[in-house]
Amino acid sequence: MTEKVSVTIDGAIIRAPKGLSILDAALDHGICIPHLCRVPAISDLGACRLCIVEHIQNGRSKVTTSCTLVVKEGMVIHSNTEKIKRLRRNIAELLVAEAPNSRAVQDVAMRCGVKEVRYPFRNNNCILCGRCVRICTGRLGEKAIGFVGRGMDRRVVAPFDLKSKLCRECGWCSDLCPMTMTPCGGPMHKGQERLCTNCESKQTSLDQMTGYCVACYFGKGFQCERHPERFTGIEE
Amino acid sequence: MPQTTLDTILDGRRSQPHQLIEVLQDVQAQNGYISEEAMRAVSKELGVTLLEVYRVASFYKAFSLSPRGKNVITVCTGTACHVRGAKLLINQATAQIGVETGKMSADGLFTIENVNCLGACALGPVVTTNTDYHHHMSPGKMRKLIKSYQKNNKEEAANE
Ligand code: SF4
Ligand code: FES
Ligand code: FES
Repeated sequence: MTEKVSVTIDGAIIRAPKGLSILDAALDHGICIPHLCRVPAISDLGACRLCIVEHIQNGRSKVTTSCTLVVKEGMVIHSNTEKIKRLRRNIAELLVAEAPNSRAVQDVAMRCGVKEVRYPFRNNNCILCGRCVRICTGRLGEKAIGFVGRGMDRRVVAPFDLKSKLCRECGWCSDLCPMTMTPCGGPMHKGQERLCTNCESKQTSLDQMTGYCVACYFGKGFQCERHPERFTGIEE
Repeated sequence: MPQTTLDTILDGRRSQPHQLIEVLQDVQAQNGYISEEAMRAVSKELGVTLLEVYRVASFYKAFSLSPRGKNVITVCTGTACHVRGAKLLINQATAQIGVETGKMSADGLFTIENVNCLGACALGPVVTTNTDYHHHMSPGKMRKLIKSYQKNNKEEAANE
């Protein structure tokens, strides 16, 4: 049995095994912190910034990503304060502007309470979440694709934009890519991007029940253990 | 002077992944750019995956992945130089040489690049050619500068 520590997340005292991230601990106990770039069982990168929480330490609060925050005895975390919600909404808006052609991204944005996108749509079809890169280099131990370039030029490619010899065609990268789920209305062309509002019915309940798992489409397609269709309740 | 080749660059550094940046710097200094073959060779000899080599080479501005002209004209487009008309200099240079920024001219003589602040704002607009700095540049001075390089090249060609 692994050693457990107590942390307080949104007022609930949770016993979580050492070494777990705050995000995992929260999800394990039914508190939904919106997240996107996390993939269970591979290293976290903190790329999407959606999972931000307030970490209270010595009376001061610090905003940080919960997927890269490891549980420690006596930690106090707030995942749904007004400040966090505001910041998170903004981040989600930026993600939608970057990649409106993903139902996963649209859905998560809805989940974060995005009502309009105030940024110009860039429609880049990649949010640089690094899920593909991490599964390739981390879990599968290959280095077929990776981040290349810097700043605005950062992108995911195989060396020289050719197919890498190291690629085993396992297909995991595309399985995990949020861009593989197109919005219900079909792909949006340049100039026609908008925020999906199809799932708004879910949204109303969300405002009252922040922190509850709403069985979002993203979780369904992407191995969120909390998703009802995935949740097995087996403890290791 | 002994010829520096990829082999001499790699000598004594084989199978040492941490030497990656040094090796790439030497390749850059020798060829003026880092070719795909060079990257493949470096990857094999140092035992670093190709992806890693490509990632490092594409990350730093000091490395160029495409061939560069004999003379690299760098126009500063930082704030101070921009305000003082760096755009005009770029227009002048691109029109005169007939090549976009970042590409090599057809005769292999020039590459025009831009950089964001060379740290000599008071002297702006600043232009560097290879290792020389030119201060208070104007389109007219730019024209003469490019002319002089073209003339030098012709003379060199005639002497050979
Ligand atoms: S290609 Fe897909 S999985 Fe990879 S970084 Fe971009 S959005 Fe994420
Ligand atoms: S899930 Fe934590 S930053 Fe993306
Ligand atoms: S802006 Fe050109 S040198 Fe600083």
